[in-house]
Amino acid sequence: MAYADRGVSDPGRADWTEAFAADPDIGGDLATVDWASTSLGPPAGWSQSLLTAVRILLSSRFSMWMAWGPDLTFLCNAAYRRNTLGRKYPWALGRPAREVWSEIWSDVGPRIDHVLGSGEATWDEALLLFLERSGYREETYHTFSYSPLRDDAGAVVGMLCVVSEETQRVVGARRMATLRDLGSDPSVVRTEAETLAFLGRQLERNLADLPFTLTYLLHEDGARLACTTGWPTGGPAAPELLSPKDCGPWPVAALADGASVCVRLDADLFGDLPAGAWTQPPEQALVVPLVQPGGAPYGFLVAALNRYRALDEEHRGFVELVAGYLAAGIASARSYRAQQRRAEELAELDRAKTTFFSNISHEFRTPLALISGPVEELQRHLAGADAEGRQELDAIHRNALRLGKLVNTLLDFSRIEAGRVQACYEPVELAALTAELTSVFRSAVDRAGLDLVVDCPPLDRPVHVDRDMWEKVMLNLLSNALKFTFDGSLGVTVRQEGDRAVVTVSDTGVGIAAHEMPHLFERFHRISGVRARSHEGSGIGLALVRELVLLHGGTITADSTPNRGTCFTVRLPFGSAHLPADSVHESSRTRPASAAAVPYVQEALRWLPAGSGTAVRDKATHDTSSPSAGSGPAVRARVLVADDNADMREYLVRILTGAGYRADAVSDGLAALTAARAEAPDLIVSDVMMPLMDGLALVGALRSDTRTASVPVLLLSARAGQEASIEGLSAGADDYLVKPFAAAELLARVRANVELARLRTHHVRWRAALVDSLQEALLVMDDTGTVLEVNAAFATMLGHGPDGLPYAPDHPWWPDATTDPAAHRTVADAFAHLLTQGHGNHTLPLTHRDGHRLYVRAAFNDARDPDSGRRMIVGTFRDVTAERHAVQRESALASLSTRLAETAGLHQALTAALDRLRELWHAEHVLSAVLTADGHQHLTATRPLTWQEIPAERRRAISDLQNHPLLTPVVGESGAGILLEHPEGPMALWIELEPARRFGREDELLLALLGGHLAQALTRAHQIDQQRETALALQRAILGPSLLPEGFAARYEPATPPLEIGGDWYDVIALPGDRIGIVVGDCVGRGLQAATVMGQLRSACRALFLQDLGPAGTLMALDHFAKGIPGAMCTTVFCGVLDPRTGSLTYSSAGHPPSVLALPDGGTHLLEGGHALPLGIRPSHERPEHVCPLPARSALLVYTDGLVERRRQSLDVGIARAGEVLRDGRDLAARELADLVMSELAPAGGYDDDVALLLYRHPGPLRFSFPAESGQLAVARHALREWLTRCDLPRRTAQDVLIAAGEACANAVEHGHRSSPDGTVRLHADASSDSVRVIVADSGVWKPGDPAGSPHRGRGISIMKALSHHVTIVPGPLGTTVEMHTRIL
Amino acid sequence: MSTQLTLTHGGHCDGGTLLTVAGEIDMSNSGTLAEAIDGVTGPVVVDLTDVEYLDSAGLNDLFAHADRIELIAGPLLERVLSVSGLTRLVTVRLPRSDGPAPS
Repeated sequence: MAYADRGVSDPGRADWTEAFAADPDIGGDLATVDWASTSLGPPAGWSQSLLTAVRILLSSRFSMWMAWGPDLTFLCNAAYRRNTLGRKYPWALGRPAREVWSEIWSDVGPRIDHVLGSGEATWDEALLLFLERSGYREETYHTFSYSPLRDDAGAVVGMLCVVSEETQRVVGARRMATLRDLGSDPSVVRTEAETLAFLGRQLERNLADLPFTLTYLLHEDGARLACTTGWPTGGPAAPELLSPKDCGPWPVAALADGASVCVRLDADLFGDLPAGAWTQPPEQALVVPLVQPGGAPYGFLVAALNRYRALDEEHRGFVELVAGYLAAGIASARSYRAQQRRAEELAELDRAKTTFFSNISHEFRTPLALISGPVEELQRHLAGADAEGRQELDAIHRNALRLGKLVNTLLDFSRIEAGRVQACYEPVELAALTAELTSVFRSAVDRAGLDLVVDCPPLDRPVHVDRDMWEKVMLNLLSNALKFTFDGSLGVTVRQEGDRAVVTVSDTGVGIAAHEMPHLFERFHRISGVRARSHEGSGIGLALVRELVLLHGGTITADSTPNRGTCFTVRLPFGSAHLPADSVHESSRTRPASAAAVPYVQEALRWLPAGSGTAVRDKATHDTSSPSAGSGPAVRARVLVADDNADMREYLVRILTGAGYRADAVSDGLAALTAARAEAPDLIVSDVMMPLMDGLALVGALRSDTRTASVPVLLLSARAGQEASIEGLSAGADDYLVKPFAAAELLARVRANVELARLRTHHVRWRAALVDSLQEALLVMDDTGTVLEVNAAFATMLGHGPDGLPYAPDHPWWPDATTDPAAHRTVADAFAHLLTQGHGNHTLPLTHRDGHRLYVRAAFNDARDPDSGRRMIVGTFRDVTAERHAVQRESALASLSTRLAETAGLHQALTAALDRLRELWHAEHVLSAVLTADGHQHLTATRPLTWQEIPAERRRAISDLQNHPLLTPVVGESGAGILLEHPEGPMALWIELEPARRFGREDELLLALLGGHLAQALTRAHQIDQQRETALALQRAILGPSLLPEGFAARYEPATPPLEIGGDWYDVIALPGDRIGIVVGDCVGRGLQAATVMGQLRSACRALFLQDLGPAGTLMALDHFAKGIPGAMCTTVFCGVLDPRTGSLTYSSAGHPPSVLALPDGGTHLLEGGHALPLGIRPSHERPEHVCPLPARSALLVYTDGLVERRRQSLDVGIARAGEVLRDGRDLAARELADLVMSELAPAGGYDDDVALLLYRHPGPLRFSFPAESGQLAVARHALREWLTRCDLPRRTAQDVLIAAGEACANAVEHGHRSSPDGTVRLHADASSDSVRVIVADSGVWKPGDPAGSPHRGRGISIMKALSHHVTIVPGPLGTTVEMHTRIL
Repeated sequence: MSTQLTLTHGGHCDGGTLLTVAGEIDMSNSGTLAEAIDGVTGPVVVDLTDVEYLDSAGLNDLFAHADRIELIAGPLLERVLSVSGLTRLVTVRLPRSDGPAPS
């Protein structure tokens, strides 16, 4: 039907210029293409579908291309040109797609074939395609969908590709994965070989970006090959050793200045090279030095480059970062090796030191005395001098005293061990002596806020003791009690128990755990992990006490309850018999408490808070006269000092401040941890032994907290030895310094550690900055799915930032399980998959904190946490919401256009569009209501629905859309609507969503877009409809009557749908005297033109017939008429007049094919008489007429040649076939027989010419109705008898039918209408060639099998059954129908 | 309106009182036939030769008096009389060969 396309005045040109104008740039280039030489031909001849597709293509800002026609001619839009096409533009326009994308045709060709063949769209995510658009074969990734494009007839003739290029993302993610792998070293320390092996394994995993790598390290004799990846072995490109003279193929010398060099890998120089992940070997390599900060490079990395990616900044940056990781790994391994060596040396030194000290400790007394003495002198002399000087003198004095005490204790021991004790036991008043010694501690106890309870009543006899030794016993016990008691009291008692004096020293302190009790008095045993005022101490105090008590023949025991307190009990025998006689002096000397008490008390006082607390920084930062002043770092690094010894704190702060550091000091590990968490320092210098939290615990705590994990720690300890050193280092400390140490050594260590840390954390900081600068959201989860880290982009994307960490699953950004179960399930499934697999790519719907929905493309990979070794999952989210919606919009638009193109007519277009909208939104249903001026609503819906069935509030919402502007989506409670222009008035379109489905902004945008498109399509469809309706009205006016006399059936099939008319016609005309005129004609040609001719002839023929000219007369008059009508010549016509009562047919044929008469005996007869020329050839020529009696129960078929004419086949064959079909359908009534003829004679592909046929079965059926009264039975019988006579049945058969029908009628009268006397009985009878059917129907209710109600009627039914071959009685609510068949024998 | 039916008492013949019936018998007029048979005592010969139609209503009347009637019927009624089973109770004779054949 070219009719619709060929419009009034060449609309083609307007359409194509308008389509090209959608993008002036691309459209301009399209206009210059020589389309005439392409298979599409000049644009003016393009179909509507093609122009629509081009318009969609050009107006889209999303990257798209399309192919159309037999050559799949290529067109694209501006976005595609920019993103993908590269240098192929504008060359590609108008070329066959196969030529444009020849390099990837093997990939995309089958997909396009699939789309064209099946009409189904394809979808590929991140497909690798090698494009040649930038002058080289390029590795690219694309996510795209091919969807079919259809022509005006609905056939698939092209495809549309919506594509987004993902090369940057895919390649970037791959490189990032390698960098991440390189940084995921699961162990803290490694040897150089292990480090290189580990890094090599990581590089080996990315053979795409690094087809092979060679790592050379510099040694004295040259560069040695240390590590390869992607490399088999050997070959001229990878010599084991590059000597300084012969540096092989690589530009070693050029690397000295630290810059990388790009090398072409010519085959003659380098031989065959491995290709890595590709099929072709690399063409270039980048040689990058492994830079050592402040030194010559460690070596260099040869990295073969991915030949399918250009060596741009990012590419180069990636390779240099890889080299950076290698350099850092080597630096770390070498530093560890040096550390280890130093620790071993220190341990050896310490052993020697210990031996030395124990051997000569007694020698210390002299120099100590030489220190203490002059210091005391100095203190006296400088009493009036400056406070600072005095402070330092006090410190010297205090420490000299302490050192003296330690040395004395050691000497006491060695004396005891050597048995060289010179004791002097004398009888003393033990209670008084003990109380006196105790009182020395009173001031210290008071200052500690404790009570001192002394209960020492005099004993009735003296006890022999060595005063000095007893002094040490008491001082040690009291000092010990004070050290471990924080509130409550200390108590000292003296009692007499039998022959012993009992002295107890008790406290309410921290107590001693039961398992520590057996070791309490062991030498050098120290109780760890308890709260104490100080961890200073040698661990020999109690051991010495025990030795001393034993020397007195006494015992010492301890009772303790943790957190309640401890009580030491010393029992000494009275008398002197147990003592060596030569050591007993009976004369008792009286002397005051010795000077030995001073160091004990002094020491105790130092444990206690001294006014301003523990931080001493302020005091120290003013000190500028420290060693190394001026040689400090340029940027003041911050050092945190943790030591429980105030002197040591002050000393450390002083020398660090003097060296230019900012130093802060705290007195224990816990305070250090708090301070470090508040603001991470550049270095922590910490004592190992500290109260509350010792140095090792501090290191552990720092390392387990990401905020402080990278803070370097330098441990100080008085404990020497390899084990202590290793313990410190393996706990994670960065360095270890044994007391005593020189200030210069400390500063050197501090400087080295600060600098090393800065170098090392450079990567960490770089990573942190990189992670935060990523546009993709990044998250790190542990193996249970708890999110531990997120970056800034994550917070922006989802509204959940690092402050809410950790996020346990189900994460707050998951869709709500109750309001959006499908989306929740999607995310939950992906998450479950992720936890088991550790990696995966998903597109997920997520919910922003503010509630809006977004879609992300999520990529996950697993990695090992270097600290814990735990499996971690690292994921990135890319927001693809806009992309997804854009693609959705474009494909929705394309799919709607396609759907609309396939439809014919306004209603069909609307129905199809509503269906599409329902699919698109997975809506409950979609409806449209055209709101007419008189307040009615014409409803169309995707499911059967009336206006009244719609809930009232929804009806209101829909009606209310009228008050909104056109094409403005309105979101309601359960759905969304939009008002459109419909040709018949404003149309409200309503989408009823599934419960809980949100209708977002993107949905609104899409609805507006599709609504606009639909409105246009409806207008277009309306125009086509109008044209069509005009044609149909014409057709109805000129085609045959819709109501035919009894016994007739007509069929009409035009060859050119959808126009339902053609050149053929039939007519049946009621003539005076109950006769019937029959006409079947066939004009030359087909389509509308033939139809106009036909219409005129038909009208003329009808009018002439009514003049009662008879068949021949009518045709002769038509001969004249035809002369005046162009195109009417040669029309063939059959005209006949039938007397239905007698079956007599008078006919004349104007060149028409012979009608076929099927006789009841199975034979056929052709009506070949009365035949003459077609119309208009010989006007005025007399036409013959012939009479043919139609036998009863025969069937007459009058037709046009379209029914029987076939190419390469004689007309006779078709006519004979028609006769056979008539015979096969001998049982059928006229209508069914007509259907059979049409279907049996139809060629395989349908009729290719117009067909009209008339079928008459003689006689026609009887239809007779009568009132349900018994008196009417005779009338009915009369009518039936007369009809049966016309049927020419054997007499007995006619009588059987008459009686059986009479019984049925009597039944209907008697029973069917007992209750409703006004009823009517309908009698119907028809005959086919060999059977008669009678149907009697009433409108009453009676039961056929009810003999009790009507005993003699039961006889009537059995008579009916006996006289017919088949009887059915169907009772129904509206009456009973009896149907009887009788075969004609 | 009733169906056309003529009843004629034709005296005696061999077998009983002769009752000649002509026309059609259906439920609208079967009562007339029943009354006519009831009105005669003793054996009756019902001549149905000129009856063109007889349905179950008429047959019921004949069944009611089957013990004392004989029938004369042409081939037209032969089937209905036999399928109703009446021929097993009642003697049916063909009309005389010179009798008028029912049309």
